[in-house]
Amino acid sequence: MDNTLSFTKPLLETPFHKRTFEACYNNDWYRWAGYKIAREYSNTELEYTSMRNTAGVLDITPMHKYDIKGKDAIKFVDKLVTRDVTQIKPNQVMYIIWCNEDGNVIDDGTVFCFDKNHLRIFCAERNLNWFSDTAIGFEVAVKDVSDSIAALAFQGPLSCKILHLLNVKNIENLKPFFFDNFDLNGSKVTISRTGFSGDLGYEIWCNPEEAINVWDSLFKFNRDYKILPAGMNALEMVRIEAGFIQPNADFMSAEQALRPNRMRTPFELGMGWLVDLNKNYFTGKRILNDLKKKPLTKKLIGLDIQGDKPAIGSVLYDKNRKEIGIVTAGMWSPSLKSNIAFGYVDNDHLKIGSKVFAEIYHPEELEYKKIWAECLVVKKQFFNPQRRHKVPADI
Amino acid sequence: MKKFDVIIIGGGHNGLVAACVLSKKGKKVLVIEKNEKLGGLANYAESLSFISKEVIDELNIKIEKNVSENFVSALSEDLNHTVLKINDSKNIEFLQTSASNSDQKNFINLINKYNLFARTLRSFMFKRPPRVKSGSRSDIWQLFSMGFKVRRLGKKNMRELLRVIGLNIADDLEDNIESNTLKGLMSNEAVIGTNLGARSPGSILNLLYNQATNNSLFRINKFNTNSFLNIIENICKKNNVEIQTNKTVEKINILNQNVNSVLLNTGEVIETSAIISNTDPKTTYLELVGAPNLDTDFIRRAKNYRTKGTVAKVNIEFESEIKIKNLDSSYSSGKFVYAPDIKYIEHAFNDNKYNNLSLNPCLEFYINKNQLSANVYFIPYLINSSHDKEKILSNVKLILEKFIEENQIISSIIETPNDIENKYNICGGHWSHGDMEIDQLLMMRPFYGSSQYSTPINGLYLCSAGTHPGGGITGINGINAAKQLLKVQGNG
Repeated sequence: MDNTLSFTKPLLETPFHKRTFEACYNNDWYRWAGYKIAREYSNTELEYTSMRNTAGVLDITPMHKYDIKGKDAIKFVDKLVTRDVTQIKPNQVMYIIWCNEDGNVIDDGTVFCFDKNHLRIFCAERNLNWFSDTAIGFEVAVKDVSDSIAALAFQGPLSCKILHLLNVKNIENLKPFFFDNFDLNGSKVTISRTGFSGDLGYEIWCNPEEAINVWDSLFKFNRDYKILPAGMNALEMVRIEAGFIQPNADFMSAEQALRPNRMRTPFELGMGWLVDLNKNYFTGKRILNDLKKKPLTKKLIGLDIQGDKPAIGSVLYDKNRKEIGIVTAGMWSPSLKSNIAFGYVDNDHLKIGSKVFAEIYHPEELEYKKIWAECLVVKKQFFNPQRRHKVPADI
Repeated sequence: MKKFDVIIIGGGHNGLVAACVLSKKGKKVLVIEKNEKLGGLANYAESLSFISKEVIDELNIKIEKNVSENFVSALSEDLNHTVLKINDSKNIEFLQTSASNSDQKNFINLINKYNLFARTLRSFMFKRPPRVKSGSRSDIWQLFSMGFKVRRLGKKNMRELLRVIGLNIADDLEDNIESNTLKGLMSNEAVIGTNLGARSPGSILNLLYNQATNNSLFRINKFNTNSFLNIIENICKKNNVEIQTNKTVEKINILNQNVNSVLLNTGEVIETSAIISNTDPKTTYLELVGAPNLDTDFIRRAKNYRTKGTVAKVNIEFESEIKIKNLDSSYSSGKFVYAPDIKYIEHAFNDNKYNNLSLNPCLEFYINKNQLSANVYFIPYLINSSHDKEKILSNVKLILEKFIEENQIISSIIETPNDIENKYNICGGHWSHGDMEIDQLLMMRPFYGSSQYSTPINGLYLCSAGTHPGGGITGINGINAAKQLLKVQGNG
């Protein structure tokens, strides 16, 4: 039979594909920026458990990477983002968000400082267009280097130990939100102490040619430590526990939202701490200045929900059964043994300790069980162990 | 260090008008002009066809009308030229033509139709345009009243206006008249100074808009531009406006989103709390203010604002008095148009699309004894290169030879859009500081976020042709910008 879809471009394979393909027992792939990434290798809960108890390896090659080079590199990033990055030092990483002129968040990411003329921004969505337009008037060149760097996230309490066993020198003294160049089992890599799991963890950046060696090395001590490759589903679990939000899931990127009232400001996302209104001008500053003085109409908060049934997609109500918000992400957290979620609630209920109600529809053997669950408004960051910030890290 | 209440960047007519209004209110005003001579682009126009009541009342001026008769001659290759005598906007007669009687009648009807629509446009054109998305009551009321004025045309005319407003001029002409010369003559008015061909949608809107600002379809000679410029210059001098010529502003210094001072090319820094920029919006934002002080979305819009100029000014001096073949010399005080038919204009426009020099350009010219002053289009603005001026001249010469009795060229001056850009600091060398198309008009002029003469920078205002109501020598932009400044400062 003729393949009538032959004109479609197949999904790209990352430099780790040879290994991820072997490991992906379920053959369950997720489409991320045109690449094939495993959604679930064999069992999401097992992958999650490895990240929380030993370490998990995630292929994050599709992440977008933009090189910022030139005399005004720092000035450019400072104009782009809401935080003051003028004091960034070489080998430092900063978590950043950027907004449009209406103060709505476009995306979040991290910026790596190689030197004062060379920075690199990592983010989940495509942003070249936005960066290029922001670069007008600055002596800086923005280049998409996404395809030339292979990346792994290596997250979990034993991640430092494994790297240490692999003779990565001095890795335990790498501070959170710093990076450096290392030798990993013969491959030159850049390792940053960053991650999306809210636990001790590293991100490893290397040449695509080194990819297979790096991957294999991490599993070298598997007889004793049982490191597992983890898929996107497991990542989703850990990031909710850690309180990290994701564009186009917990908020609409301002560059992609079609309906103007669907965009969110940093204050509404609980990211007000990232907005520095005393710094030099940045996109959105004028509006954010005004917004800061106004009370919030809605905010993304954490919810501790009664019972054990995840409140995915639930609508939130107050005690009078008036609709007050919606859940954007929810899960049963095996580590915390609690039912957690992120949700938007309106201004009367966004204080920590407020009580709201979620209407949960839980499928049980072809029938929906309708649950009316009481929820406590809590901080978004549910999981934040001490080892995450410890220097030197546990080996 | 000197300090002024208001600094006006650019001594074009709008800048001077703004200086008049502000100095009258007791403001200490400084005007900085790049060239020796004030007036900017207005110097290219020998005559004005209209000075609005708003300007006359606001500045309290008297200006003498020219009494000479107005002729417009459409040149034709078979030397059967068409000559129109224009008494006023409603009274136009054919003095000679090869067009049939029914064509003449239809042509006049068409002019009357456009006149009616232009009057409707004019009734709200000289006011401050409403903002979009502001939600303020005055803006909504203004929008409502604009709609009401269109509705008041009556059912039939309103329908017709809404039908033609987005249409191209060629379609409407072909529906009504047969004579190629008349079609070319009308199309000339719709496309000159724009990036539109006769078949480009929006050319009728441009025609109506021009007609509304000039109060005349064919831009007749009613006032002397120089005397208008002299009058406003004298008001400035009388009110102690300081005018510094031969200086350019290099940078507007901004502190916490407020204007602080300007830096001149001489190295001087002059402090001020308010600036009105008479340079085009693109230059003002991208060069004077600088992208780092503005939001990225705003920079995008500024960058995408279309300012590609298309008209070159060609001044030719001949050895002896210029005579047009087969035309009574009494008509030579008027305007001559060579745009023989729609196809010809479209071909000239095609070259413009691809940034090429048109071999067969359209011409609009005036003659004064042995001097000829022509607007030649389409001569596109080029970003990285420059035009071969010899080629432009030879192309123009080839056309003129068909109509002018043998004569020798002594000298010529050619100013392409690139030259105009350099001379007056106008991005793209565009007549109107930006295309007058539907997405760049009214509250969308120059672009969203910068309407009503205000800018995102506190204390910075725009008064150039890049603001509503756009190009043409109206002075309205200057008055409205000055009023906006006074309103914000609380003493309007």
